[in-house]
Amino acid sequence: MSLRTFILGLSASFGVAWLAIVVIPFFKMRNLEPIQLDEVADGTTGIFYPKRTGRIADGSRVYAQNGCYLCHSQLVRPTYAGNDLFRPDWGGLKSDGDRGDTRRETNAYDFTGEKFAQIGVTRMGPDLSNLGRRLDALHAKGESPEAWLYSFLYNPRSNPEHWKSTCPPQPFLFVKREIKGNPSPDALPVNAGEGFEIVPGPDAKALVSYLLSLKKDQKVPAVLNFAPAKKAGS
Amino acid sequence: MSSATTSSSEQDALLRAGIDRSLRHPVMFFLTSGAAWLAVSILLGIIASAKVHSPGLLSSCAWLTYGRVFPAHLNALVYGWGMQAAFAVIIWLMARLSRKECTMTGTILTAGHLWNLGVSLGVIGILSGNGTGIPWMEFPTFAWPVLLISYIAILIGSFIQFRVRPEGHVYISQWYLLAAMIWFPWIFITANTLLHCIPGHPVMGAAISAWFRSAIIFLFFMPVAIGAAYYLAPKVTGRPIFSYSLAKLGFWSLAIIAPWAGMQKLTGAPIPYFLPYLGAAATALIFVPAATAAYNTIRTMLSAEETLAVSPSLRFTVAGITGLVVLAAAAVFLNLPGSTLPLTQFSLSGYGFEILAIYGFFSLVMFGTAYFIVPRVTRREWLSSRLIKIHFLFSVYGIITVALITLFGGLQQGIGQEDWKQPWAAAASRAYPYAVANTVAWILILFSNLFFLLHLALMWIGLGRRSSHPTLLQSAHASSPHGAEGDIDNAGPATTH
Repeated sequence: MSLRTFILGLSASFGVAWLAIVVIPFFKMRNLEPIQLDEVADGTTGIFYPKRTGRIADGSRVYAQNGCYLCHSQLVRPTYAGNDLFRPDWGGLKSDGDRGDTRRETNAYDFTGEKFAQIGVTRMGPDLSNLGRRLDALHAKGESPEAWLYSFLYNPRSNPEHWKSTCPPQPFLFVKREIKGNPSPDALPVNAGEGFEIVPGPDAKALVSYLLSLKKDQKVPAVLNFAPAKKAGS
Repeated sequence: MSSATTSSSEQDALLRAGIDRSLRHPVMFFLTSGAAWLAVSILLGIIASAKVHSPGLLSSCAWLTYGRVFPAHLNALVYGWGMQAAFAVIIWLMARLSRKECTMTGTILTAGHLWNLGVSLGVIGILSGNGTGIPWMEFPTFAWPVLLISYIAILIGSFIQFRVRPEGHVYISQWYLLAAMIWFPWIFITANTLLHCIPGHPVMGAAISAWFRSAIIFLFFMPVAIGAAYYLAPKVTGRPIFSYSLAKLGFWSLAIIAPWAGMQKLTGAPIPYFLPYLGAAATALIFVPAATAAYNTIRTMLSAEETLAVSPSLRFTVAGITGLVVLAAAAVFLNLPGSTLPLTQFSLSGYGFEILAIYGFFSLVMFGTAYFIVPRVTRREWLSSRLIKIHFLFSVYGIITVALITLFGGLQQGIGQEDWKQPWAAAASRAYPYAVANTVAWILILFSNLFFLLHLALMWIGLGRRSSHPTLLQSAHASSPHGAEGDIDNAGPATTH
């Protein structure tokens, strides 16, 4: 077999797969068509626009640089692929006040504003797809979710609910500084020594803003809604 | 007639000696710096693994946080050790099989330094908090063009050697090595341009990253190691390959199946449905090329059992091929959509599979090849069979532990993750004992590789045994109560026996 036939053989065997599963899907998915809302099904018209607020670009950079994706996933799989949807607070909330069950699987619009979807590698910690909503509704009762997250990032095990957590502490995202005038409202409730306080640094602020943007509380258009039809009255 | 044979075999011997001499420094450079990176990577792996069960450890230092140490560990393992070991083996095997001396030693060594610089800066980049957050591609973006250019400069010579080789039969090892040499840049350029240069959909980016990891394992590390095993098995035993048509079948089935694998890591993600299913099917089908190559090489080696019993090269190769069989079985076992795939998709099994591929299979075969090549390029025999045995035993015990605990621990963890009626903490705590065992296993592997690095460095600086007897793994008591063979022999070859 000559080198030319060999390389042709390699190009054919590899090239077909390369085109079919990498290149073509990549360019097909680059610009997803906007979703037209349907008057009957969605109750409104226009174009579906995924809402997301927060410092997504630089927060996701901090998330990537500090390897959060190694232990946390951001993917709620449909029921054919796993049981993620059954957990009460992963894909939405099981009982979200008047809206009822808001749980849904991850869709292609959940990563708006990010360069790379941090689907995750290993779930040593819980899925973060709905972290922002979960904190608002369940964990940070009576305090701001920002303060809850700052405190968690500084030392995950300081919270008695999470004494067994294996999440690595990130004290290097915080700054210890002298109190001048009034203490900072963001200062952590830890003893930093007389006249000093520990406040989140710029990276911690970006990260927390990004983490709180991970919410699944927006109503999705009917074409993306795969939830079983609700029984009347439930 | 007989004199003609003698003179041609003398010419052959001269040619082989010439090839070995021309490649002495490149081969030793890649093996030694690779082994040094391996030690660094394992050290980082120990730190990372310890943090999984003791998260407070060394936590105040930003450079040593888990999220940076772990990617530094894997990237150092892949680009520092894996790729460099492959370079050493490819340049030597391609030169020997194409029967051409290396004329580009200077270029290769310069590019080798550039590669090491790229890896060093990349690892420092990750540890200093400038990683990209894309698994196996965490090096800051400046690193990949540096690595690509050095890669081409290192291997272009081997490609040219193949082009200008004397006409004749192309041996199966050459097929595998040549294919790996072509596939790697193709995969590497694709993944890096699509993820770093052309903005795309973020979820498709994640799918390409999963494909990239799988492709590097199945289309670079796997063909290089199988190619090396196909060289060692007949060469050391002196017997022909068990079945040459089986070898071809194995090669083409790998070439056809492996490029489709990888995206099963995104099952349930919003990408086209067929991608994860194709990925799962292809990963399970990897069993075919893997089992073919394993059966063929093992049968070849079993045809000379006495040699198999004493040759360090073959012992490592057999262990590596056994790793390949386990890897192939795991590829089937962990990727069954509907039963095990949901359990393993986000569990420790993924890491276990990667480590099994890189260490349990690829690295063990590379060690075997190194035990064959180094005495030839340095013209010295290995100093001590005891060092080789320590390297072997601790590596094998270590990798068995890592593989078992991460594969099966991963499944156990997955069962906990899927049990949605239990709070999440129950799933998280299932991983704890496996993490402890993982740390212990990495310590064993580190111990074994420090000996390998020491042994290799001593060989490079010319302190190997001056003997015409290879260092074999005979039991010391069989021949002499003092263990003559294999111990450091200062008096020269005359007293070896």
